Amino acid sequence: MDRFFYNLECFLKQQISRAKFLKILLGGLLLFISNNTFLKYAFAKSSSSDGRPKKKIKGSHDLVVSEGPDPYKNTVKAVEGMGGMGRFVKNSDVVFIKANMSWDRSPEQAGNTDPEVVAALIDMCYKAGAKRVNMSDNTCNEARRCYDNSGVADIAKKKGAHVHFVDSWNVVKAQFSYNSPMSNWPVYKEAVECDTFINVPVLKHHRLTGLTLSMKNLMGVCSGTRGLIHVDIGRKLADLTDFISPELTVIDATKVLLRHGPSGGDLKDVARMDTIIAGTDPVLTDAYACTLVDREPMSISYIKSGVQRGYGSADLSKADIVKLKS
Amino acid sequence: MRKLILLRRVSQAFFLLLFIYILWSTTYPLTGMFPPETFFTTNPSIMVFTSISERIVLPGLIFAAIMLVLTLILGRVYCGWICPLGTMIDLTGSLKKSKIIPGNSANKKIRKIKFFILGVIFVSALAGIQVAWVLDPMGIVARFVSLNLIPTVTLLFDKIFIVLIRNFEMYGKVYDVYRDLRASFLGIQVHYFASSMIIFAVFAIVCAFALFVSRLWCRSLCPLGAFYSLVARFSLMRRVVYKCISCGVCTPACRMGAITGGTEYEKGECILCMDCVYVCPVNATQFSFPKPGIKKQLEKETDTSRKNFIILLLSSLFLMGSKKKKGKGGESLVIRPPAALKEKDFYDRCIRCGNCMKVCPTNGLQPVMLQAGLESIWTPHLVPEIGYCEYQCTLCGNVCPTGAIPKISKDKKMKTKLGTAKVERSKCLAWEHKLECLVCEEHCPIAEKAIKVVEETFEGKTIKKPVVDPNLCVGCGICQTKCPVRPVRAIRVTPKNADRT
Repeated sequence: MDRFFYNLECFLKQQISRAKFLKILLGGLLLFISNNTFLKYAFAKSSSSDGRPKKKIKGSHDLVVSEGPDPYKNTVKAVEGMGGMGRFVKNSDVVFIKANMSWDRSPEQAGNTDPEVVAALIDMCYKAGAKRVNMSDNTCNEARRCYDNSGVADIAKKKGAHVHFVDSWNVVKAQFSYNSPMSNWPVYKEAVECDTFINVPVLKHHRLTGLTLSMKNLMGVCSGTRGLIHVDIGRKLADLTDFISPELTVIDATKVLLRHGPSGGDLKDVARMDTIIAGTDPVLTDAYACTLVDREPMSISYIKSGVQRGYGSADLSKADIVKLKS
Repeated sequence: MRKLILLRRVSQAFFLLLFIYILWSTTYPLTGMFPPETFFTTNPSIMVFTSISERIVLPGLIFAAIMLVLTLILGRVYCGWICPLGTMIDLTGSLKKSKIIPGNSANKKIRKIKFFILGVIFVSALAGIQVAWVLDPMGIVARFVSLNLIPTVTLLFDKIFIVLIRNFEMYGKVYDVYRDLRASFLGIQVHYFASSMIIFAVFAIVCAFALFVSRLWCRSLCPLGAFYSLVARFSLMRRVVYKCISCGVCTPACRMGAITGGTEYEKGECILCMDCVYVCPVNATQFSFPKPGIKKQLEKETDTSRKNFIILLLSSLFLMGSKKKKGKGGESLVIRPPAALKEKDFYDRCIRCGNCMKVCPTNGLQPVMLQAGLESIWTPHLVPEIGYCEYQCTLCGNVCPTGAIPKISKDKKMKTKLGTAKVERSKCLAWEHKLECLVCEEHCPIAEKAIKVVEETFEGKTIKKPVVDPNLCVGCGICQTKCPVRPVRAIRVTPKNADRT
């Protein structure tokens, strides 16, 4: 112990030359520069976003509903009815496909988007000249199990899409030009900074809102305490839809979970409907999907809120709807 | 050429890396080349004493027997060439050159301690208490690797990548590499373990012993070493010195203090580290199997005096007295992994290897500190604030080396109760604050939903409030994990009515 104090005293009392002083100063500076906070201010771009640009691409029709036993062909037909994928995906675009793969459930249990539907969309994107297709989802169950058991990640990787797990740090803070309960909510950067956003939800039951549809599916691109979106969920999802404004919405109603959603698990609750709905207006697409399971569109809080705030229309009588059958 | 020493070091490095690899691959989806319990089923001390204390025959006993046969042929080769803790101890010891070298009489005294410990473990096992885990080297090093080393290394990788990607805008190739690494080698979640510093401290103290006397832990305390030492006494491989010049170089050079002088050595203490072969100035030392014709030297019996025997019995008795008496049901104070044995059997069977906590995909299994009494320390329990029990996952039962968490099928797991959830109405957003929430109901994995909804009209709005059906609830805790109320969740799982086997 004595020796330690002696050495300490020697160290403190030693003469420091100018060169050594400069070296210490330089070392301290380097340490400061390598500091994360400094780096963030010096190099990183601003981490807030005003939302994706609203391209307002119109399809050939307002909605295309395609029915048939094969989900892959159904999807292709629905998107072609809208005017083809080329309308939405330009050459060397980066596409983000938000499929629902949030639950550790098999494809038969209908908790997630049908893998065939996703496969069809990825194929069409690459055919239309997409540079890269990204996919990810902020899952409810453990992410690896969801990706594996839903079958979506597997088939998407085979088709050449980049399926990744979400990074909670790679987010932008949502900013709105109006007062919004979603303002400053962290949203995954990859979902915001893509050229084309395709939303592929699965139609299923949800106790709080009534149904899980395309607007509800966008919760999967949000980070933060996801549970808090449930408070005042209608307004929050409507604003989130305005923030993301997806170019194309494809609702998968191949297998529909009628009760005990959104996770399900019992095959008795699943009904086969073999329908794919494609549209450019997320509110209208959701409103049509409601009629498939005999729900009044305006009874779903987020559709009501979306209509009230003018993000879309839920008036099916005025819409141009085309039905294709095979 | 120090060929044999080089060979030993290669072997030590190989088995240490193998050990870390096995624990690293103990994660979803469990596709490692070796079963995760390899190093525990080949551990005779754990296998034999757990079998005795629990009155069962563990399937791992056969591997333990193979190790004992190997010891019978080659001696304590496990300690010198394989043991990962031994390797770590050697590494720590090499940091300091000048160490205390105890004399023969001191050596004799300190090496007795481990047999004493083994005796206590044996007597306790006869009485039905398993204390073999307390000082077991595999447990100490496995807990360190699973709960300290791997989380630290993954955290470090993660942080370095994040700093690079975020601050230098490397969202191209580097980000892709990072995400591929995360999906394969790093794991998508950096795990955290509560109070793991204490687990590290135990490991660090054991290693630090080597700074004072080389391999002090192995010489004096290791119960596995004592077990092997008892067998190695009769091993075939032995050290012979032809034409010894009695220079006395090898005696202080021996890292186990096994050489008592010249040709004499304690066979049970020798770990075949091969140091004495190379320090010998006349190259007279070698290890060989006995040739027919040369008579085997008679080994001296260890002298257990009456005094020592009485101390052994008394300390074992005190150990039994310190055991908490529990009712037949074995009420648990913490949420145990799915289908875990009854509480008393569970903490006796559990060897605290940390495999279940390492493998848990949600990081929900955490080491118990003192919440359930000292006898339950470092056993696993579910902390729903950190992670829940994944409904269709059976990994923890699949990696348990002693069956404290039984292997069960997926269908059985989905019906196994861990406890029961209860809504705290005074905190719940829906009940207390009349807000929309129902996150717990959304996440409930039961097909017919164990959380039922009560509707109430309040100021013109319909409020949906959650109520738990205790008959359907399996206590997986996902509702508690996902509940947005902070700091204390508004729905909580208690170990009430858990299914224990």
